Amino acid sequence: MKLKKLAVIATAMTMLASGVAFAGDVTWWTPNFNEARAREIVAKFENANPNVKVKLEITTSDGLPQRVLTALQSGAAPEVIDVQHAWINGYAQNDLVLSVDDVLKDRDDYIPAALDYATWNSKLWGIPYRIETHAIIYNKGAFKDAGLDPNKPPQTWDELVATAKALSKGKMSGFGITGGGEMGNTIFRSLPFIWMNGGDMISADGKKALVNQPAAVAAVKFYTDFFKNKQAPASTLENDGTALRRLFIAETVAAYQSGQFDIASIKKENPKIDIGVMQIPHPADKKTAALLGGWSFVIPKSAKNPTDAKKLVGFLAEAENQGALTDTFPARKSAMSLPRFSDPILTVFKEMLPYGRAVPNNKNWIQITQAYFDGIQRILLGDEDVQKSMDGAAKDIQALLDQK
Amino acid sequence: MDRNSTGLVFVLPALIVLAMLVAYPVAYTGLLSVTDRQGAFVGLDNFSAVLGARATPQAFWNTLWFVGGSIVFQVVFGTAAAILLNQNFIGRGIVRSITLLPWVVPGIVAATTWAWMFHTEFGIINYMMTGAGVIPEPIGWLTNGSTVMPVLIAINVWKLFPFVAIMVLAGLQSIPNDLYEAARVDGANFWQEVFHIMLPQVRSVIVAVTLLLVIWGLNSITIIYAITRGGPANRTLITPIQIFRLAFESTNFNQAAALSVMFFAVALVIVIIYIKALASTPGEVK
Repeated sequence: MKLKKLAVIATAMTMLASGVAFAGDVTWWTPNFNEARAREIVAKFENANPNVKVKLEITTSDGLPQRVLTALQSGAAPEVIDVQHAWINGYAQNDLVLSVDDVLKDRDDYIPAALDYATWNSKLWGIPYRIETHAIIYNKGAFKDAGLDPNKPPQTWDELVATAKALSKGKMSGFGITGGGEMGNTIFRSLPFIWMNGGDMISADGKKALVNQPAAVAAVKFYTDFFKNKQAPASTLENDGTALRRLFIAETVAAYQSGQFDIASIKKENPKIDIGVMQIPHPADKKTAALLGGWSFVIPKSAKNPTDAKKLVGFLAEAENQGALTDTFPARKSAMSLPRFSDPILTVFKEMLPYGRAVPNNKNWIQITQAYFDGIQRILLGDEDVQKSMDGAAKDIQALLDQK
Repeated sequence: MDRNSTGLVFVLPALIVLAMLVAYPVAYTGLLSVTDRQGAFVGLDNFSAVLGARATPQAFWNTLWFVGGSIVFQVVFGTAAAILLNQNFIGRGIVRSITLLPWVVPGIVAATTWAWMFHTEFGIINYMMTGAGVIPEPIGWLTNGSTVMPVLIAINVWKLFPFVAIMVLAGLQSIPNDLYEAARVDGANFWQEVFHIMLPQVRSVIVAVTLLLVIWGLNSITIIYAITRGGPANRTLITPIQIFRLAFESTNFNQAAALSVMFFAVALVIVIIYIKALASTPGEVK
């Protein structure tokens, strides 16, 4: 009797573990901000492919990396998952996702940096559909109050420093930087300064740490000095991107780096602010740079229905559908001409895209950025000066690069 | 079938479930710790890589500091609260329930709330203290290297002292009244009752509770991770968070497993020493 019961439970557990997907079913995990648009596209897809039924599951970005990783490792993954570009390499190297070279054929139509992210071992492991970079969002009213011309934002580092200084008055901080929360926020905001100064975190061949070289050190100093010189809020060490947006809305931060996704919530929560957008200032004789972020589709290796999964992903990758699904910009150049991307407030963000770069594909990338982030925090805490802190970070990073 | 083997058949399902839920993960962690991402045997490479990281010793000392600091105050405040709640006064039932609140609130909720209360710009603590003139300008409680760990310990103490209080209170209530009466006949005052009757009588409870606190402390992630994620600059990084980071942020399960194995060994040693030193001695101390 007991054995029988056990057998029933065991069978039930196996069925649960293997998921509820049957042939012809495709489960697609997409983040909550995509939900409405995803439903429309799914309806379109099911019309065109009556044999395939798509089951949408809505995820939230908080804790998503852990959730996706757990699903991938457990062997009970859905057919298609939306993930951030930078996560793909870890999945590919741990043999958790399928190669999608047979799905994505028109490589020329994609922004190259987006494909860089999804490439490992000269194969493609994800299909980028959404890309974005930061620009600087600023408060035009605060510019006027400080006697600056809001239509002539700073273009070089020196001008940005002078502007931040002029804007910092009373409760207002001139230029907000991040130094806390999820470390990706700080990588996104500070690494471009290193790049535009001609430096990098690690060498192109992935063999040498470069964060303590003069170009990187100067950029890190430039970034952290906004806090040292009290042009960034006192709470910098606990601020992430969201906190900066809140402070901007509360009109205690006059300018900060972010993506176009912040604009809607600023407009909603404090309609009084006259929002301006500028390119990220660069050293006087050099070009600007930005870190390219965004989202891709991956097909887990343990997906029950890879054939239909590839069919769905192929459909989603069509220019028109990418253009419809993305919250920011599409990864395909041909989709960029759609009318929804011609809003004037997006102009500067669009101008920044060609300067967008991918982070290196290194299996220890997260640990490398952690070492760098710890270094930034040591500077902000006042424990060490920039050179010493970056020397320490370089040593930690070199140890990670030397691992087999 | 003799009696023994029949018995074995009956416990077999439970043993199988136990093996699946306990032995398999432990064995798999051991296996992960000596292999690379592709599953090839690499000996002790993962261990040396983890030990070589600058964060590892720092996290270890932080763990001892966090666990030790928390437990001392949890036990002291918890026991004091229990003795207080054991007295007769009006509204005792209400006060007892209120004391339990921090223990009932889910850890993540409490941590997020405290994080906002301690926030430099928006936090109510800075708001009240600057408003009352206690401090001239806002303090970065969670970003100042010297305040962040004490603040986290305080939050952890706040969260768990009610548990100690309730356990010790239960112990206090089982003390026979004769002991107090005899003491009073001999002219004992309140403090003599506390030190010569109450504490010796609940000693075994405190020992057991402290052991639980040690184990929970060594495994605690929620409060620190939700508030500082181990920052700033690893000031509050404790080993469980380092393991979590390695596994789920860096997707480096092998190094995470290696660190887990070492941490397990250390935790085991601490617990064994503790049990040998305290739990096995006779329950009464004069």
